[in-house]
Amino acid sequence: MQLNDTSIPVVATGASRTKRALGSAILGAALALPGVAPPVHAEGAPESGVIGVRYLNYRDWQPGFDRIHVSAPSAYFLVPIAGSWSVSGSGVMDTVSGASPRWHSSVSSASHLADFRRAGDLRVTRYESRSSYSLGVAGSTEHDYLSKAASGQATFSSDDNNTTLAVGFGRAWDVVNPVNEVVSYQHKSTSDILLGVTQTLTPKDILQVNMTYAMSRGYLNDPYKLVDQRPNERNQAALLLRWNHYFDGPGTTLRLAHRFYSDTYGVRSNTSTVEYVMPGAGGWTFTPLLRYYSQSAANFYYDPVYDATLGAPYPPGYGNNPTALASADARLSAFGAATIGARIAKDFDETWTADMRVEYYQQKSSWRLFGTGSPGLAPLSAIFVQTGVSKRF
Amino acid sequence: MRRGLKTLAGIVMSSMVLSACAGLDPVQPWEKGNLAKPSMTFEGDPLETKYVEHIYASKESSSGGLGVGGGGCGCN
Repeated sequence: MQLNDTSIPVVATGASRTKRALGSAILGAALALPGVAPPVHAEGAPESGVIGVRYLNYRDWQPGFDRIHVSAPSAYFLVPIAGSWSVSGSGVMDTVSGASPRWHSSVSSASHLADFRRAGDLRVTRYESRSSYSLGVAGSTEHDYLSKAASGQATFSSDDNNTTLAVGFGRAWDVVNPVNEVVSYQHKSTSDILLGVTQTLTPKDILQVNMTYAMSRGYLNDPYKLVDQRPNERNQAALLLRWNHYFDGPGTTLRLAHRFYSDTYGVRSNTSTVEYVMPGAGGWTFTPLLRYYSQSAANFYYDPVYDATLGAPYPPGYGNNPTALASADARLSAFGAATIGARIAKDFDETWTADMRVEYYQQKSSWRLFGTGSPGLAPLSAIFVQTGVSKRF
Repeated sequence: MRRGLKTLAGIVMSSMVLSACAGLDPVQPWEKGNLAKPSMTFEGDPLETKYVEHIYASKESSSGGLGVGGGGCGCN
């Protein structure tokens, strides 16, 4: 399922006919297929295999309204083959329940949901002395949404291995068939490309610059929002800069990242993250982390001011032009968001590792940078907790 | 067009930064011990990374920058 587009449709439980709320399906889709993006910096053929399992528990809410719960177990493997190949893959099953507004943050408009998704991916990589080439496929299925995808990527390193260029291409084909039957079997396709450079600066500094560009075409609306008419194409550009610095004395690592984002919906955003990795005694590692995000509103998003005759959720003048571009999806509004969290990991020996990661997230209109946020929306809060175990062999 | 120019400007700026970086003394193989530590790599646990990125992609209107995922997961 396409997650980059906030119009991801929601699905219904087959037996119950329970209507889906958009947010849940989006999140469900989001959790569908972890780990299909290959590395974008230099790396040789893996010398050992890896198998890991992971579990996510997610919950979000707004004041007075408990919204979405997600439980998502997943598994991952990587197997080296013949010294110059590897095969990796992952699978996830996620269960989503709760309720989500059908316009803005209106509690009274919320629809209940319950969903189950299955998804998986597989990737094959060939390693040469200064390059690698990988191909991957992915798929996910749920009651009202089917997605298939393929991607390819190559990396090329300089002779001294200090510079690595990455290029990649992906293509996805999605089919939307919402249970409320506002549309049936609508198609959406997305193509995306990546260009990236990773540069070793000093023995303690490494920098990465990635640019991605995604082009989506087809049905991009959210069929579970009462008013949601979006363009049938969307182009998204992102420029990501990452810098890691190692501190010799304490043996810690500062990890910084910033992403500039722009799309043809008119959304502009900035995302900054900071992580500080602190190894301790006994194989323990503690990593506090912070993230800040700010976005402008989409051109066709409208504030919760409704038509005098039709009332909520219809924008003023809706009756005169019901096919005009318009959306009451709060994720297309202008807002800021912050995350505080931490990760704790324990290496039991050379092969076994376990970790837990906890994050608290809050989204508010007033936290937007470089402008005022969209008015009339309730803040959104979320907690996500991950636990994982992995073994090398 | 304006957006395209901004993207191009970003690429050019990044290229300039990297070009400047290339003027630094090359790091020798025997100096890369710390660079090889897991904390210094850009890729962490693949499941962990995807969980986090997908959560944000589902609650915000932005995504991208990390790689081409090729659909399904919404990585594209």
